[in-house]
Amino acid sequence: MINTFAQVDYLASAGRSVWHRASAFTKLLAALAAVGAAVFAPGWPALAVLLVTAIALTVTAQLPPRLILAAATTPILFALLFVLASWHGHLVDALVLGMRPVISSLIALWLVGTTPYPDLFAPISRVMPRALGDGLFLTYRAVFTLLDRIERLWKALFLRGALEGPLRRRASMMGEAVGTVVLYGFERSQRLYQVMHLRGHSGRICGCRHWLEVREEDAWVLALVVWILLSSLYLSGVPRT
Amino acid sequence: MSHLHIPDGVLPPLVWILGAILAVLVLALSGRFTRHQGPQQIAFQSALGGIMLAVMAIPMPITAFDYCMTLAGPIGVLLGAAGALQVSFVVTVILALLGQGGFTVIGLNTLVLGAGAALARPLYCSLVAWLKPPGAMAAATAISQLFSSALWIGMLWLSVRVAPQSARDHEIAHALVWFKGGALVAVLVPLLGLAVGVEALLGYGLAGFLERVRPDLLPRSAGTPAPSPEGVKP
Repeated sequence: MINTFAQVDYLASAGRSVWHRASAFTKLLAALAAVGAAVFAPGWPALAVLLVTAIALTVTAQLPPRLILAAATTPILFALLFVLASWHGHLVDALVLGMRPVISSLIALWLVGTTPYPDLFAPISRVMPRALGDGLFLTYRAVFTLLDRIERLWKALFLRGALEGPLRRRASMMGEAVGTVVLYGFERSQRLYQVMHLRGHSGRICGCRHWLEVREEDAWVLALVVWILLSSLYLSGVPRT
Repeated sequence: MSHLHIPDGVLPPLVWILGAILAVLVLALSGRFTRHQGPQQIAFQSALGGIMLAVMAIPMPITAFDYCMTLAGPIGVLLGAAGALQVSFVVTVILALLGQGGFTVIGLNTLVLGAGAALARPLYCSLVAWLKPPGAMAAATAISQLFSSALWIGMLWLSVRVAPQSARDHEIAHALVWFKGGALVAVLVPLLGLAVGVEALLGYGLAGFLERVRPDLLPRSAGTPAPSPEGVKP
């Protein structure tokens, strides 16, 4: 998952598609409209249009096919439990249940794959209490440093044979290993606190100001919102079977 | 098990909307308890949130299947209820942005993950008077994990009870029937037991390490003021 983290983070910053140049705020609105339409769509016709739209968005955002496939299949594994559990011979119902999470996951990929995280978190953190808004930024930053350390630690444990032997010993050793990471995280937070002080932390991390800079490309995003809403409303009246 | 990973569009809207409202209320309440905390505490919470995400990403070769830890119990012990709930929310939002669990179930995911974590410190503080820190941490982790799992199942039950006439709830009802059917129980109960056992052992090792090198990071027994990272000099 973290490789995905790093890959998506890179693509969001380095991508050059029309969606990358649009503002974070309008993309966030479009994503909310698409997820809302997918969740509340009563039947498969509207969902089919949304699915095609979501795939088209990820493809035109020049996201790697492997990532698109991963985003499309990951929620299926979790939704499968519910699809199997609710199976009563109606393929269409199962299809509807399976399509919704796929659309949502693809839309999430499109959003995070075209929006750098400071731009994405800035509007979200504005509507949150300070601790949560700042937590979003700092947690996301911490993940990469800590993951690198954890991966090296796991490799060292593996090479030294700590991942062999009885379960009790393995889990306990891993707990100790996690302890070193917790300690590192604590010391890192101390340094971060000092850095924040030195840089004149005013009591809130605001992120950058690009998220609300409306550009020409935002017209495409607004057209997308109109397309999602109109097609969903129109196709909601189409019979399900 | 304690992390739902249920994607969008599976649960009835009434359930996830109620979950979202409840999560907002609980987070607002946690905000009241943490409003005086400085950037240092936020940085510490974020570091532990980062560890939670990083650890969730690494599959552990425990059985034939890989198991992804949550560390919700130990992090709940280290941060306390309010901090643990806030970290759970932040982690859930980032996971949702990566397609792990839907946007609409962010509230429910926060409640399920955070409630177990929030329970961990009071449990630990009660138990540490009787047990050594590693044992207390293991027990608090196991109980908090079971509590989260119970909430997860309760949430499914609620899905049936809230609006039994709707089609989607009917599906959830089927899911519960399937649960009761035995086949799933036979698979899930041993897996849940294994997951709880592994998390408890991890908590045991973690507390054992911290007890040796930084005992000040572990809270003390009930009635003794818990140490705060703000009070620890770098």
